Amino acid sequence: MVSSKLIELKVSKHTHNISKTLVNLPMQKELSHPFGNARWTDELILSTYYQSSTGKNPSNGLNYKTGKSNGGFDRLQFKINQNTFKEDSNEDYDISLTLNGRGRIPDKKLSLPVYGGGMSLGSVSLNFILSRATAAKRLDTLTCTGEGGYPEELVPLKDYVITQLATGMFGVSEKTLQHTPMVEFKYAQGAKPGLGGHLLADKVTLEVSRLRESPVNTSLYSPFPFHSVYSVEDHKKHLDWVSTINPKALLSVKVATPKDVEMVAIGSYFAGANVVHLDGAFGGTGAAPEIAKKNIALPVEYAIPLVHKYFIEEGVRDNITLIASGGIRTAYDVAKAIALGADGCVIGTSEAVAVGCVHCGNCESGRGCQIGIATSDEELSKFIKVEWGAQRIVNMYTAWKQQWNDLLHHFGLNSIKELRGRKDLLVYKK
Amino acid sequence: MMSDVDRIIQSRSKLVSDLDISYKREEEGGCGVIGFASTKQVEGKHLLKSLIQMDNRGNGKGGGVAILGLNADQLGIDQEVLDRNFILQIAYLDDRVQNELEQKYIFSKFEVDAHYDFQNIEDFQSIGLEVKPPRVHLYFIHAKENLLESFAKELAFDGGIDRVEEEFVFQNSFGLNREFYASLGDKRAFVLSHAKNTLVFKLVGYGHHVIQYYKLADFKAHIWIGHHRYPTKGTVWHPGGAHPFVGMNEVLVHNGDFSNYHSVCEYLAQRNLYPLFLTDTEISVYLFDLYSRIYNYPTEYIIEALAPTTERDFYMLDKSKQVIYRDIQHNHLHGSPDGPWFFIIGRSIYQEQMIQLLGITDTSMLRPQVFAIQSGEHDIALIGSERQAIDAILLSLSKSDECYTSKADRYWNARGGSYTDGGAFIFSVSLKDKPTLVVQDKFGNEITAKISTNMNDWLTSVEKLNGTSYLKKLHRDGISLHEIINDLRSSPFQSSGDKISAINELTYLLDNSHLIASMKSGRSKHIIHEAIFEIFRSFPNIENTESIGILVDSSTIGNLRSPIGKQKYLILDVKEFDSEGINSAAMAIVQAYQTGWKQVYSFDWRGQRFCGSGLGPNSYGFRIDVYGNPGDYLGSGLDGAEIYVHTAAQDQVGQMMKTGRLVIYGDVGQAFLYGAKGGEIFVLGNTAGRPLINAVGKPKVVINGTCLDYLAESFMAGDPLNDGGFAVVLGLEFDHNGEIQNLNTPYPGGNLLSLGSGGAIYIYDPNRQVEDNQLHGGQISVLSNLDDKLISKYLKINYDLFSIPYEDKLSDFKKIEPKNSDTVLK
Repeated sequence: MVSSKLIELKVSKHTHNISKTLVNLPMQKELSHPFGNARWTDELILSTYYQSSTGKNPSNGLNYKTGKSNGGFDRLQFKINQNTFKEDSNEDYDISLTLNGRGRIPDKKLSLPVYGGGMSLGSVSLNFILSRATAAKRLDTLTCTGEGGYPEELVPLKDYVITQLATGMFGVSEKTLQHTPMVEFKYAQGAKPGLGGHLLADKVTLEVSRLRESPVNTSLYSPFPFHSVYSVEDHKKHLDWVSTINPKALLSVKVATPKDVEMVAIGSYFAGANVVHLDGAFGGTGAAPEIAKKNIALPVEYAIPLVHKYFIEEGVRDNITLIASGGIRTAYDVAKAIALGADGCVIGTSEAVAVGCVHCGNCESGRGCQIGIATSDEELSKFIKVEWGAQRIVNMYTAWKQQWNDLLHHFGLNSIKELRGRKDLLVYKK
Repeated sequence: MMSDVDRIIQSRSKLVSDLDISYKREEEGGCGVIGFASTKQVEGKHLLKSLIQMDNRGNGKGGGVAILGLNADQLGIDQEVLDRNFILQIAYLDDRVQNELEQKYIFSKFEVDAHYDFQNIEDFQSIGLEVKPPRVHLYFIHAKENLLESFAKELAFDGGIDRVEEEFVFQNSFGLNREFYASLGDKRAFVLSHAKNTLVFKLVGYGHHVIQYYKLADFKAHIWIGHHRYPTKGTVWHPGGAHPFVGMNEVLVHNGDFSNYHSVCEYLAQRNLYPLFLTDTEISVYLFDLYSRIYNYPTEYIIEALAPTTERDFYMLDKSKQVIYRDIQHNHLHGSPDGPWFFIIGRSIYQEQMIQLLGITDTSMLRPQVFAIQSGEHDIALIGSERQAIDAILLSLSKSDECYTSKADRYWNARGGSYTDGGAFIFSVSLKDKPTLVVQDKFGNEITAKISTNMNDWLTSVEKLNGTSYLKKLHRDGISLHEIINDLRSSPFQSSGDKISAINELTYLLDNSHLIASMKSGRSKHIIHEAIFEIFRSFPNIENTESIGILVDSSTIGNLRSPIGKQKYLILDVKEFDSEGINSAAMAIVQAYQTGWKQVYSFDWRGQRFCGSGLGPNSYGFRIDVYGNPGDYLGSGLDGAEIYVHTAAQDQVGQMMKTGRLVIYGDVGQAFLYGAKGGEIFVLGNTAGRPLINAVGKPKVVINGTCLDYLAESFMAGDPLNDGGFAVVLGLEFDHNGEIQNLNTPYPGGNLLSLGSGGAIYIYDPNRQVEDNQLHGGQISVLSNLDDKLISKYLKINYDLFSIPYEDKLSDFKKIEPKNSDTVLK
């Protein structure tokens, strides 16, 4: 029997080591071990560590803009004139994101063009959730509960927390829907289109099962559709229902990117959505099944312009907010998504990297995460201290902000809104 | 050797030789569908209100109406002309093509006994339409004899000249549509219908606009079908894609969409049929026509080809049926549309002087559907997406003709692809002599609305009321139920308290009507509802502080404030409230709750949604009584309050419910208690598909009837003996004499507690019908003393609510729980 004192010591030692490593690692000249993958390269992970430690972008040559996947956002480049491009410009541009109230309710302005993606208690630790929400509050943006209930500790931050309503409806009640400034309907997740959420038995601890009101140590699967929504008319009814429960909430509809994604999007518009959230295939934690992750649906960089264009043709573009997510890793990815036609992005994995995710891919197991992010284990969950984590996330976005300012400055734009749909500023590198 | 089937199919090859299959289709979602068949010809106006009440199932971008069993006088022709001719109906989008079209496709090929423009109102904008509907021209035609003969020769067809002529008409219309409509070219004109005794109208708007624009309000027919379309895209400027679509002798409207559109198109292309309007609905009706007219299948086999019997249901069929069904399934695998879908089909079987209305649901039963029948001097049977839409038609009829009443005698759901009813019902109206109506399921079993001859048993119930009871006081020898209720309506109530007592007495009769033979007919329910609504409407408004009940409606809701003085009950007239949004009935109830009212009597619901949603957490001590036809999502999210529904409820009831009580004196629709977390829920009747799916926590449910299928899939409600959740299923029905009967099986479906990891189903199974092969991951256990104690408690409440005494039959219950639930829970 290990005494609690001993556990505490162990945790504190481990926490100290993690935080020290995250500061030092980006400074090393050579890495002795392989790290990351082609999309999340070692350089991207290290530069995110750097940004999160310092609030600045690395100047030691680490590539913090693109990965090496040879596709997607890694091939899309801004037409930047290297001779005139200035890093660390001193000007502050309007990089805010407006969530469209559509006249039904007031618009909501976020100070960043991004907000946090849904990660449930159970899939990730409470401390990580609180770090994200605290950061969202400081940055004046939002984060999201995911589908796992609403821990009491989150209530003081409720104005910055989106309540997600997903197909299993785990942990959702009128109370949690009434708390929130925005309800996110998760119809599908890009990382596993055609599948519902799942949480394997390992991670269904007592605390997790209590919030979800399900049996402990039993795997949980959300159904793949909403059983009450089998058509666009059901979809409207579904949104109307939540609007009855919380008339002041914005409604965001999160969908994957099937080949007729523009029809899905326009259907959501007519159903009354304030936000259409396109989730591409490269998001999700390591728990998302590999087969679903990269082999189904349209890449999000194809989906964004399709939907953007269709909204314009239908004359509704200015009545709805278009959000992209699913593999948006860097400030440059965000800017590219906006240039393709999105209003803003949703970020998940990068915030995990900010607090030390190493991309080991063991997210589905109970004690797999050595950093204390994707875990519900009592001991591992303590590795992240809320204040420390929040500050690192704030730092990362501070560094991103600098990059957006630099880009806007370079292109002579006044705000990030003016970047929307500027495909002409992009080039696809062969 | 070639068969007739091959000859017909081959003869079409030149029509389609240079056509490409287009897999592009217009996206559309669910829709609102309604249809009815009556032995009496009734006017289109009765469809109007129903369609208006259902307009939130469409989006105003496509509406259609089909009419069968026409009146020759109204069409200005002789009966003989009507009987002999096909009615070719052309929608002209571009007037200039009429001459050319007529020369090429009508006068050169057919004898035209009559032709004229169909009536329409002058100003389409006056009824709120944005796109001018097409001008409709009717041609009463039969094929020119010489052309028909040469066509028959060419076909070398043995099947009779009638069938040759039908194919002649069909191919002519196909060519016409191709030339003047063909989705990729100009859209100038198209065929609305060419069937006998049938008319079809459609436009860009809602279904009810059709009735207004083409002046069908006073038009009479035996069968009416109405449809609201919900195309996904924003701009629609022509009505070609709207329903109904015509095959040859049938018209079809559809709610849903296919996941295998591609495959069905390929299947049809192999039979030389190509979609020209690019919708699911069009290919659905082609399939039906193919099976019906070309393959000459009996109706049962057509339905099997469209909605195959699968899984356990298949093995529950007779062996001989299995052989035939297996063949049908093998042959038409690719011509079997994958759901979700629900079809309403009108069919003209002129050879037998018959018209039919069919409702078919897909195997997975994912679209809402309800059937109803009312008999009397005139019989009528109805099919719709929502019960409230059916009742709206009946209400409208009852107001213009005393033979009808506002409630049907019987309502039911179809169990898609099942061995029990086949998921389809067929209403056949024979037009020989005096029209008759027969309602049958897929297998030919007849459904009737039996009415008891015992018209006095309501007295026994009245006896049970206390001494000061109004009904008791008004009672005298020989008085009928209807008379006593009329007396009650006109009695001079001394106080508002007396009125509430009267309401409670009538409610008592209504709530026990399943056990009272004389209360079972639609007419008795109609009279009771009329009385209740009338008394409710006689309450004073909010200014009167002396009355314990005050009346509020949509025009006075703005004055709502906290109760003052003697005010105790808020009586909410729901009739004119919106279905959703800030002016909805649901929001009015939230407002009542927030201003401190404790009890709301809400009445005359007409499909308005979300009753009881939005009260927020811990709404204990608040009670809502519901009369009329409440809409979807009733009680969804409920967390503390109590809702008593003195009628049936619709779809998505009690979703995400957390605590509180829900009592439903009737059936419930689909996805009942989906994702629920708790509460006490009692249902007198049946629940449709997928009740309790993904429910967690501790919902405690008693279902006195049964369920279509998929009960408690992925149930995760802990240990029922330790405050977890469970459902008790009794599998009962109440016959026309008010006697309690066991259903043939308490649970007909093949999926019970599938993939559950917690909770339990207690099922009353005196004849040992429930078997292991209905379970997927569950096991059947014997009840322990603790189980007995638990369900006794809930059966006692059930008895108090519904007078159904089953507390002492515990030995005939089975417990179904997740496999190995012991180890998991410990």
